[in-house]
Amino acid sequence: MKSLQIQIKREFWEHRALWIAPLAITAVLLTGAALVGNPRLLHMAAGDDAPPLFEITLLGWAAPLYLTAIILATMYLLDCLYAERRDRSILFWKSLPVSDTRTVMVKLLVGLVLVPLGTFVLAALTSLLASAILVLRFSLAGHGAAPLWDSATWLRTQGLMLYTLVAALLWYAPYAAYLMLASAWARRWPSAWAIIPPLLLALFEYMIFGTHYVRQIAQRGFGELMALIFRGRGDRAANAANAANAGDAAGEAIANHVMSQYPEPSALFVSPQLWLGLAAAALMLVLAIRLRRYRDDS
Amino acid sequence: MTTIIEAKALSKRYGSLVALDQVSFNVQSGRIVGLIGRNGAGKTTALKAILGLTPHTGSVSVFGLDPSRERNALMKDVCFIADTAVLPRWLRVAHAIDYVEGVHPRFQRARAEEFLSRTDIRLRSRVGELSKGMITQLHLALILAIDARLLVLDEPTIGLDLIYRRQFYDTLLNDYFDHERTILLTTHQVEEVENLLTDVLFVDRGHVVLDASVEAIAERYVQVNVASDQVDAARALQPFYERQIFGRATMLFENQPQAALSGLGELRTPGIADLFVAKMQPEGI
Repeated sequence: MKSLQIQIKREFWEHRALWIAPLAITAVLLTGAALVGNPRLLHMAAGDDAPPLFEITLLGWAAPLYLTAIILATMYLLDCLYAERRDRSILFWKSLPVSDTRTVMVKLLVGLVLVPLGTFVLAALTSLLASAILVLRFSLAGHGAAPLWDSATWLRTQGLMLYTLVAALLWYAPYAAYLMLASAWARRWPSAWAIIPPLLLALFEYMIFGTHYVRQIAQRGFGELMALIFRGRGDRAANAANAANAGDAAGEAIANHVMSQYPEPSALFVSPQLWLGLAAAALMLVLAIRLRRYRDDS
Repeated sequence: MTTIIEAKALSKRYGSLVALDQVSFNVQSGRIVGLIGRNGAGKTTALKAILGLTPHTGSVSVFGLDPSRERNALMKDVCFIADTAVLPRWLRVAHAIDYVEGVHPRFQRARAEEFLSRTDIRLRSRVGELSKGMITQLHLALILAIDARLLVLDEPTIGLDLIYRRQFYDTLLNDYFDHERTILLTTHQVEEVENLLTDVLFVDRGHVVLDASVEAIAERYVQVNVASDQVDAARALQPFYERQIFGRATMLFENQPQAALSGLGELRTPGIADLFVAKMQPEGI
């Protein structure tokens, strides 16, 4: 346990952006909540048929943090097995009794689980603080009870975000594993290794067979996931298919729609796409571990 | 004294280059063994095979374990500093200690801190802010604080100035070596380790050309500074190496009785450096 803790810490020592960037974003958001915007306008907008202001602000606090987390996690996973070879420290790490499997799994844990979960916690705290700041400004401006806090809505939104986050971890696990494989494989330019092979493969497939299977396999739309994990109106399978076919813009529209529906994960767990993805992730992780273990290019 | 490393018919190729060719040797516990050879002789490859870091043919066993399959278990008993092992620049000294303490069951923090207190290294510093000599000191402090049974050092002092090199080997001998531990080190700077070693393994172009203890060398080899009138008589006894310095011949003999040589000139036990040169250039250039 102690060794797991220190191994996780080590990742955050090396990749300082993983915690500095989200904290910086939070600072900016809170400063924004304190200084920007006019409470009077908000008050005027808060009529009966007004849009759900509180939900919108909640998403507004969370979105920049989640977007940052996606970028940070991608960069981290792409770098984590390459950096130790680039700075030639790999033999130092290998001189300690930490197995390659453990090293790779700790890095996966950090990139795929801890960074998103940490983001969730930070986003929840940010929304609490920012809402408190707004409510305070509202009251100070003399507008009485603010339409900017509702405990039940806050809890429900946090629950839905966490639920979506956990589903997204499973859904996007193959992406994480693929990035790590590229990171373990690349002698230089891991980002090029991550992007170019699937692009070329898809291109050749289209040129030779005129089909799009590679793209279909590689592309995992967020809207498709949302359709799988929320019980919307109508047929969920059809929703999923629509989301997949119509591309992500339409997918997101569906996603926004189903956000107001009930969470229900069973469709995700019977989806062959989830299990095929997880199997592919496991395979790519095994390859990444073997690359770290057996490649001798020092 | 037990055998802790057993290498049998170890071979390794990099493409068409044969780095090791059917090499066999043993290392006993409690020894300080120098794996000595020129650049590219196969020293590092042999160490990597022992540490399970490179695929090879033939068999290696270290403490009865197969390094390529049981590397993690092995790393509890074995420490190494590879010449290419560089501590990452982002790592803080204090964090480096925390990390090794966290993952290594046999790390003694007090030892590392005591060692570091004798240097100018500050715990707050990042590796990137340290000089090359200080980085090596830090690495050494981390490794020497681990109570390992075998320490493997691959050109550990490369790129260091004389003072750091001397300090390095002094620390190794005074603070670490206790006749139960074993040290296996490679170097091509033979003179520096000459007085340190108990055993030598000369490697040349993938072959072991000499595998002997220092005592055995004293028995087997004699260096004769041949008197000028005895040169022909000395050559008749077939020295395997001959060198002229200021018009005087120095010859090395193997397995010749002292009695036969004593009349030829001044006898002494050859140094490891001299023996190394002689073995690497048998024609005596």
